[in-house]
Amino acid sequence: MDRRSIRRTVAWLVLGFLIGAGIGLFLGWVAWPLEFSETDPADMDERFQVDYTLMIAAAYSDDMDLSEAGSRLSRLAKDDAGRWVLGMAVDYILNGESEADILKLVILAIDMGQYSPIMDPYLAQIESARPS
Amino acid sequence: MRSRRFVTGTSSERQPRPRDPRLGAASLLLLGLIIGLVASLYYAWMVEPVTYVAAGPARLSDENQGEYILMVSQSYAVDGDWERAKERLDLLDDPDIVDTVSSQLEQYLRNGEPADNLNSLATIAGKLGARSPVVSLFVPVEVDPTILTPSEVNVSPTLTLLPTATSTSRATRSADAPPSPTNEPSPTPVPVYRLLKQERICRRNTPIPLIEVAVYDAFLDPIQGMEIIVKWDERSDHFFTGYHPGSGEGYGDFTMDPETVYSVELAAGSIRVGGLQIENCGTELGGLAGGWRLTYQNTETQE
Repeated sequence: MDRRSIRRTVAWLVLGFLIGAGIGLFLGWVAWPLEFSETDPADMDERFQVDYTLMIAAAYSDDMDLSEAGSRLSRLAKDDAGRWVLGMAVDYILNGESEADILKLVILAIDMGQYSPIMDPYLAQIESARPS
Repeated sequence: MRSRRFVTGTSSERQPRPRDPRLGAASLLLLGLIIGLVASLYYAWMVEPVTYVAAGPARLSDENQGEYILMVSQSYAVDGDWERAKERLDLLDDPDIVDTVSSQLEQYLRNGEPADNLNSLATIAGKLGARSPVVSLFVPVEVDPTILTPSEVNVSPTLTLLPTATSTSRATRSADAPPSPTNEPSPTPVPVYRLLKQERICRRNTPIPLIEVAVYDAFLDPIQGMEIIVKWDERSDHFFTGYHPGSGEGYGDFTMDPETVYSVELAAGSIRVGGLQIENCGTELGGLAGGWRLTYQNTETQE
């Protein structure tokens, strides 16, 4: 096999490879991308994580089961779940969200050992509502 | 003289056929294409797959979706905001969400999950329109009288469903039916048994002037030995469940006299159901004297 035919063989192989790779990448990334359907709450978009946390706070305001709330929050894989809840509570207060939702978040944040002065007006309500 | 040599092969074997350059190029191109396709698919799916960092609840695993549904039901139990609960459930993109929630409720029953969880799940299952027997035991719903009509016992079309009435706010949320004027709240003791159903009962061939009571615990197991107090005029009597083996451990009954109005409550605490008296069933149901069947469920789990 002379040098010319070797060069031609390699050229056809490379051309085929490039076309195949292009088709493969299109199929693998665009047409049939791998879909992850067994995800955890931690993989959810942040707005869903926020709503998820709100549901945790709502359930906690009813059953006051802090270990269950903590277990649920752990599924969001936050570095500091308490700070995450506190941040949400503060955001809800600053954004003027529903008072009922704020109260649930504040209760959970406080019981997780978090505090912000902005929560003071709600703390008074909580203290007066809680049985002594 | 030139010697002749014998030829043993065909002419094609003697002279190698010149290779078709187009065939060789196509083969090489195809080979390269296959290698490129396999390699790139491996890369796209295994090495560097597209990752959805903004996944919604629909992509959660079954276990996490179950937890999500429970949390939606618990939130609904707290805030009573059905629109919000429905929006959250819609995020699951589950076309069979009613079946999913019903199945989860049945699974929770089998697993002995806390009654609060069962209640909240059953409530949203009922709101979604689930009409399974399990849901109807937790959440009183409008029941088609024909469903309650076994071969012998018939329920008149004037069936009255009463709302739940317990001391917990959760139970009262589950009832949409208007309150019946025949219910008289009992001040003491604190009701722990809620009224799931109040039905009129008729038999086509025999009068049935009975007050039938069935009592279940939070997990829908019949409760034996429940004391039921019956009052009429200035008098009262009591009877217990579990003395009719053929009718179930949670069953008890009391025979009514004509022209007498009774009220019934559980000694352990329930609402008092009044205005119970013998009423004649419609002609289509035999026209004979009919009675009442009351079904109660405990709303608290035993510690």
